[in-house]
Amino acid sequence: MALLEVEDLRVAFGNSTAVDGVSFTVEEGKIVGLVGESGCGKSVTSLAVMGLLPKGRGPKRSKQPVQVAAAEPAGGVVKAAVAAPQAVPATGGRSRGGGADVSGRAVFDGTDLLTLTPSAMRRRRGKDIAMVFQDPLSSLNPVVPVGRQITEVLERHRGLKGAKANQEAANLLDRVGIPDPTRRLKEYPHQLSGGMRQRVLIAIAVACAPRLLIADEPTTALDVTIQAQILELLKDLVDHEGTALLMITHDLGVVAGMCDSVNVLYSGRVVESAPVRELFARPTHPYTIGLLGSIPKLDLPIHEPLTPIRGSIADVIRWRDGCAFAPRCDRVAEACVEGEPALVGSLHAHRCVLAEEIA
Amino acid sequence: MTIARIEKLDRLIEASVSAREAQTGSLLRQSLRRLKRSPMAVTGGVIVGLFVVVAVLGPFIAPYDPTAQTWGKEVFLNRNIFPGPRAENWFGLDHLGRDMFSRMIVGARQTLLVGIVATLIGFVAGAALGGVAAAAGTFGGRWGERVEAVIMRTVDVALAIPMLLLALSVAALLGPSLSTVMIAVGVAQIPIFARLLRGSMLAQAHSDYVLAAISLGVPKGRIVVSHILPNSLGPVIVQATLVLATAIIEAAALSYLGLGNPDPGSPEWGTMLADAQRFLSGAPQLAIYPAVGIIVTALGFTLLGEAMRESLDPRLRRQE
Amino acid sequence: MSTEPQDEAPQAQSPDAGPALLEVEDLKVHFPIRRGVVVERTVGAVRAVDGVGLKVPQGGTYGLVGESGCGKTTFGRAVLRLEEPTAGRVTLGGDDVTALKGEKLRKFRSRMQMVFQDPLGSLNPRHNVDMLLSEPLKVHGVGSKEERRKLAIETLDAVGLPKTVLERFPHEFSGGQRQRLGIARALMLRPDLIVCDEPVSALDVSIQAQVMNLLDELQDEFGLTYLVIAHDLAVVRHLSDRVGVMYLGKLVEEADSESIYENPQHPYTKALLSAVPQPDPEKEATRERIILKGDLPSPANPPSGCRFRTRCPWAQDICAEVEPEWRETEAGHKVACHFDL
Ligand SMILES: Nc1ncnc2c1ncn2[C@@H]1O[C@H](COP(=O)(O)OP(=O)(O)OP(=O)(O)O)[C@@H](O)[C@H]1O
Ligand SMILES: Nc1ncnc2c1ncn2[C@@H]1O[C@H](COP(=O)(O)OP(=O)(O)OP(=O)(O)O)[C@@H](O)[C@H]1O
Ligand code: SF4
Ligand code: SF4
Ligand SMILES: [Mg+2]
Ligand SMILES: [Mg+2]
Repeated sequence: MALLEVEDLRVAFGNSTAVDGVSFTVEEGKIVGLVGESGCGKSVTSLAVMGLLPKGRGPKRSKQPVQVAAAEPAGGVVKAAVAAPQAVPATGGRSRGGGADVSGRAVFDGTDLLTLTPSAMRRRRGKDIAMVFQDPLSSLNPVVPVGRQITEVLERHRGLKGAKANQEAANLLDRVGIPDPTRRLKEYPHQLSGGMRQRVLIAIAVACAPRLLIADEPTTALDVTIQAQILELLKDLVDHEGTALLMITHDLGVVAGMCDSVNVLYSGRVVESAPVRELFARPTHPYTIGLLGSIPKLDLPIHEPLTPIRGSIADVIRWRDGCAFAPRCDRVAEACVEGEPALVGSLHAHRCVLAEEIA
Repeated sequence: MTIARIEKLDRLIEASVSAREAQTGSLLRQSLRRLKRSPMAVTGGVIVGLFVVVAVLGPFIAPYDPTAQTWGKEVFLNRNIFPGPRAENWFGLDHLGRDMFSRMIVGARQTLLVGIVATLIGFVAGAALGGVAAAAGTFGGRWGERVEAVIMRTVDVALAIPMLLLALSVAALLGPSLSTVMIAVGVAQIPIFARLLRGSMLAQAHSDYVLAAISLGVPKGRIVVSHILPNSLGPVIVQATLVLATAIIEAAALSYLGLGNPDPGSPEWGTMLADAQRFLSGAPQLAIYPAVGIIVTALGFTLLGEAMRESLDPRLRRQE
Repeated sequence: MSTEPQDEAPQAQSPDAGPALLEVEDLKVHFPIRRGVVVERTVGAVRAVDGVGLKVPQGGTYGLVGESGCGKTTFGRAVLRLEEPTAGRVTLGGDDVTALKGEKLRKFRSRMQMVFQDPLGSLNPRHNVDMLLSEPLKVHGVGSKEERRKLAIETLDAVGLPKTVLERFPHEFSGGQRQRLGIARALMLRPDLIVCDEPVSALDVSIQAQVMNLLDELQDEFGLTYLVIAHDLAVVRHLSDRVGVMYLGKLVEEADSESIYENPQHPYTKALLSAVPQPDPEKEATRERIILKGDLPSPANPPSGCRFRTRCPWAQDICAEVEPEWRETEAGHKVACHFDL
């Protein structure tokens, strides 16, 4: 069984739907990519799985839990209706007023994370599942030495104290490739470079040997040479510790180099998912094809026009009316706006009614 | 490659565009929408609105002439007898037998006037100083930097003096009158506005669109006037709302200290408060009415100002 | 405005072919580091740009690539006199840009323009598209109100925006459209040179491609010469005829776009190339990776000798003592390294 199974995850902020039925799985010891452009719902998906979205108001949920409940045995109806509101503790999140309404399932090792109480989720966060964010500076506490920030986690989840915790923290820093770790432990985040800070965050994330690591654009803020260092480190962790990694990125290059399988997101839904080699060898969904055609490659003749996707992500229709990509798709046909396109296929799945003709 | 035209798709796109457009609109509209949803803004707005209506219509809605000592015979100063609220005089009588309710209503106008004029003095003079300092420092070369330094050091010194002390010295210089209070309070606000506008302008001066204007060859004066200034005024205007609240309280304080209008003819809340202090033990209500009026009004302006500050904050804009 | 015949602008150029439109000689920009509260003294300098020279032929594109903080933006701004150069000379079409002052400099600005990284930040939020586009013409006294409007509509058309957007404000556009507006504004005065500082790095991949294609089209249409600055080697290579690789304020390698990729000679270029993730799993699996250790040193205190030596896998003793010279290893390929690697 897969380590993490996300099924029909939906997240809405008030009236706007950010994630619209995302499903994917992460196997033990594998790297799975979640790729897509800005605003397609990558971060919201990961925050929902981690239970880090601000809690939503009850009534707005009414429609979706019914759908979930219908798919569940009788006992589940009560569970979904009663437990769901508690599933999203009000920590973090950008919104001040409106919270997020989350529905669907995120089954980690047999338990649905979305039904856990906030305190149960807190106990799991950091221990079973850990997260690395894009902006290392704002994820670290600026007035606490990095060593203290690591030992805190060690104390909470592993019960290590004092010199033992310090020793382990130094080991961790050494593990993520920070030279002279005992000295660095006493330093504050602003004294470290961007790459170092990201290493510290990774050290904190792996402190309790989590079984799943979620990395949300961990290298987007870094230079390419530093990015190469960090990606190498993450790959190494997966290889040696057997940690599963959910890699969120907008860079298909990073996906090609890191991932075992990949899910392409568009407008809050997975539009194509496949093992990585398969996806790059036989991209099927027009959006994936368009993304690949948009990337300048180092071995392409210079000045040769790229083949971009027209329009922007603002040109979108609702999935329930048809294919959300239709306004930008060059192959669009009548069939594309006749109801919701379904995700077809298992190993190499796609959400395009004309895919068979394209392939 | 030709792209098929699909009527149904065109309709769907149109629907989604118009749905989105209903939500957006100019930055001002977005801010207003946010304001309308904020309880702080609504409370502040209602208080301020009420106050302004009363101030404008005061003389027409007041039941009696606020200066007429109609019930003078019913007040006995030496025995501390001040008739309280009753059917014909809702707030009772003051020490000269005038109707308190009418005095409160008519006095709102003077109070608002003091607040507005004082704030305007501070705003205009402070913004001029701050604006000149920022413009000189940014575009005036070596000499400009010196001008900026002189202005800002002076402002810093003025800012270090307690506001009431500053106002008191101005008032001492000009002798007691209503204009003294306005000028004194206004002058005391100058440094605040100067610093605020300068800071706001300097931040804009380092923005990319100003760099773009320079690279397009836009003359310096035009950059200041048409690019930097309009984008810097937002926080200053918000501050003005907050200053109005302080100005009302300070004007009251100065009046209370006897620097206000010595002619008790036209009522003003600060002066009323000052008059009431003589009878504080026997008739505390005489002080409570104007005091509550001042506090509530100041609170209204503060709430409104804070809510405006929040609604203009670009960091909160993204959630729309 | 440019009057050069456009057929003289061949697509791929060897470095010294044709007259150079932009010539930069040994440009330096040092930012003094000041200390002290009462009496300020200068205790050193951030050598953001420390002696960079290059030539861009009329109609050509020069790409400058390097990591964050290496001085790319500062260089681009100094070329346009938006930052005061500490030393060196910049000439545009034979006119010495570094010698210009005051009103002369302001007038001259119509011949050189800039496209910014942050499309929203570089547009005044209170000006609508009409004001945005006509302002440069107004301040240079070009045309009447109607003529300016006509030119604005023409330019909007060239960047792929309808004339209906004239009354709209910057925040009402998407990121890609904003960048089109920024480009349109830079085009309004029909300049000879456009410096593009990270023109696509704030945009989504699919939008990046649109803007890169647009820049290429406009170059032909308006006979533009570009200096493209970016941290993304693939973007720079795609847009440019010639590429310069910058490290800590200096050029370390310069060559035609093709040979930078096929035959990189400087260790830093090699590392940079090997670090760019390619959207191709086969290549990613077989590629030789050079993982550099450590971070960029501070430009206030660059290493002695070769600046790259603290991170260079091939560094020898000599690298710490002697600064490598800027030498031509083959026709049109220049490198600053002691060794042929
Ligand atoms: N707290 C929030 N309140 C309201 N809307 C939100 C909130 N967080 C995210 N959204 C919206 O949800 C959608 C998905 O956002 P998300 O952050 O997941 O995108 P992303 O794929 O991570 O993009 P990026 O590449 O920019 O990080 C966006 O349209 C965003 O505006
Ligand atoms: N006004 C300034 N005063 C002092 N130092 C500066 C100034 N502007 C830039 N610097 C420094 O000069 C160096 C080069 O900066 P620059 O912005 O040119 O780098 P860059 O290559 O454009 O980097 P990025 O990719 O991050 O934009 C940096 O170390 C920076 O901190
Ligand atoms: S369903 Fe139609 S519109 Fe959507 S991607 Fe496929 S072909 Fe394009
Ligand atoms: S000169 Fe030495 S340190 Fe510098 S790049 Fe060449 S080998 Fe490396
Ligand atoms: Mg994100
Ligand atoms: Mg830069």
